[in-house]
Amino acid sequence: MINDKNSKKIVDIIQDFSRRHSLFVLAYGTGCGAIEIPPTMTSRYDAERFGIRGMATPRQADLLLITGYLASKTLKRVIRAYEQMQDPKYVIGFGSCTINGGMYWDSYNTIKILSDYIPVDVYINGCMPRPEAVITGFIELQNLIKEGKANGAQKYKENLEWYRENQKKVIKDWKMPDYNW
Amino acid sequence: MNIWITILGFLATVFLAFVVGVFYGGFVRKITARVQNRVGPPVYQNFLDIVKLYSKKTAINHGWMQHLGPAFAITASVTSLMFIPILNGTGWFPWFENLNFKGDLIFLLYMMVFGSLGMALGAGQTGNPNSAIGVSRGLSQMVGYEIPWVLALVALMLQTKTTSLTGLLDYQVSNGTWMMFESPFAFVAAVLAMLGMFHYAPFDVPFAPAELSSGPASEFGGKYLALMMSSGSIFSFVKLVLIVDVFMGGASNLIMLVVKTFALYMIPVLYGIVSPRYRTEQSIRYFWGWPTFIGILGVIYAVFVR
Amino acid sequence: MTDTILDKEQKLVQLLEQTFKKLSGKVVRQRRVTVSVEKELVPSVLSYAKSQLGYIHLSHMSCVDWPENNNFEIIYILWSPADKVQLFIKTLINRENPEIDNVDMIWKHANTYEREIREMYGIQFNGLVGAQEFILEDWDDMPPMRRDFDTVEYVDDNYTFRPGREDAGDVREEIVKRSGEDIPDFAKKYSRD
Repeated sequence: MINDKNSKKIVDIIQDFSRRHSLFVLAYGTGCGAIEIPPTMTSRYDAERFGIRGMATPRQADLLLITGYLASKTLKRVIRAYEQMQDPKYVIGFGSCTINGGMYWDSYNTIKILSDYIPVDVYINGCMPRPEAVITGFIELQNLIKEGKANGAQKYKENLEWYRENQKKVIKDWKMPDYNW
Repeated sequence: MNIWITILGFLATVFLAFVVGVFYGGFVRKITARVQNRVGPPVYQNFLDIVKLYSKKTAINHGWMQHLGPAFAITASVTSLMFIPILNGTGWFPWFENLNFKGDLIFLLYMMVFGSLGMALGAGQTGNPNSAIGVSRGLSQMVGYEIPWVLALVALMLQTKTTSLTGLLDYQVSNGTWMMFESPFAFVAAVLAMLGMFHYAPFDVPFAPAELSSGPASEFGGKYLALMMSSGSIFSFVKLVLIVDVFMGGASNLIMLVVKTFALYMIPVLYGIVSPRYRTEQSIRYFWGWPTFIGILGVIYAVFVR
Repeated sequence: MTDTILDKEQKLVQLLEQTFKKLSGKVVRQRRVTVSVEKELVPSVLSYAKSQLGYIHLSHMSCVDWPENNNFEIIYILWSPADKVQLFIKTLINRENPEIDNVDMIWKHANTYEREIREMYGIQFNGLVGAQEFILEDWDDMPPMRRDFDTVEYVDDNYTFRPGREDAGDVREEIVKRSGEDIPDFAKKYSRD
């Protein structure tokens, strides 16, 4: 039983519990969605009661929150921030701009589908999603972690060539360091 | 056989300091939330954070000093803890008093700075500009609050004619009084210096998440951050117990210890919740103003009045 | 009645037309005057307006593309705090070889506007110092604010669309079809049909 790799050990249970109830968020305030984060964190909606806490640097965070549209220029920074984060890491795409381009569907310098470039675990629909929707997204992510389905980072590592190809299509002058995470 | 009891007592002390410190952190988050009219995280939230951070992968390498920095911090915390008598009599846990080495206040003053210096070296090697700014801010602020703190302790040493922590405790127990009544100026100066020592607002200058992205810790994630958080929890317990020992007559049992330290802890916490952040020079000017003056008064009081 | 109100505007146009021969001015309305000049005259008109007439503030600097006339139109918007008049100075430059003199020695912040116009319209400012890349990074196509730049075509070439989102069409029908629910009443009044 102990040596069975598929069985969940008590350590795994504690780990999973603490992972899903302690999400350190790096809010990448690109678009209009950044303005929805303060009400989510402050007294009215208070996301801290779910253990969600803002963090200032990608090194400390486990959840990257892409709040709104991403210009191809900011995509570069997002990829760097994402690759600097430590495993296990998750991404939440926020608003319809990250899903299908939203109102920037014909803009020449915003990307249309975020999950082509970095793996997204949960999308929150809306333009903009209200704090209730944001908290629902967080809880959805917690459920995914519980079921072991929030494996975006795994996907990114396995399909790195595919992601790199897509990224290089947008970022033409590729001068990025290679991280050995 | 005796040495095994000492080692057991050592482990129990560290465990106690860790648990109490982390729970205090949870209480602080809860109290902050209640003051801001929020529900707040559960009290055990900091445990979850630390467990999660310990279970994260850590693949950052900036050089060996970066790996040693958090280790220095936790070494300093645990070492300072070892030199502080947790309880003054034979209390609920008889090992605790046997453990301390009849610690010396001057030695402790040096030991408590060691962790910050280690962190400064570690943060310096990460090469992150925010870390460098945070370190320089933190060290300048330390220059600020160390002065009233040292003045308060010097006043105590002059008054009781001893530099030993156990000597101070014995003095208070045998005279049946607390140093905060014997030497009130020194106590006020020490409490004001303590505001800076805990790095809560308005003295959270070195961390300043809005401008420095958490300062010295900005390049430390995963296990290093967990080490730093554990070290911070233990160290806040150390500072509280030290002030309780030297000013409030120590504690005869664990319940009294928790009551006294918690009451003392609420001073910087509650002052911090309602305050915005100082700039570096404002914070240094604050410490070199009234706290230093009261500290000098305390020394004069100890020399001439007593 | 109107004559007395537009007094200072007309005086401004007269003054400018007397000073510069190849200049035509027009009073648009109260507090707004438009002046068209040739591109060689732009620096002298701007410095004259700044030093002699009290138009000390460059509010904005903009560009309009006119592919119909094969022209770019550069517009400098000046403001006089004393007169409280907005002075629009417009100049036309050829679209084939677009270049104009740089004016950031008159107003330093014109540099930022000029760099943006250079990047977005591909207009060369003679003597302009500053990094070539301003907002766009690694841009190798036609300057994107020109009117003959086809945004949708560029987006088709460079990005992939999520199916169902190839245009700005109404997605309510699709949602109704997939979910089997009716369009709610409050949404019907916003329908584009």
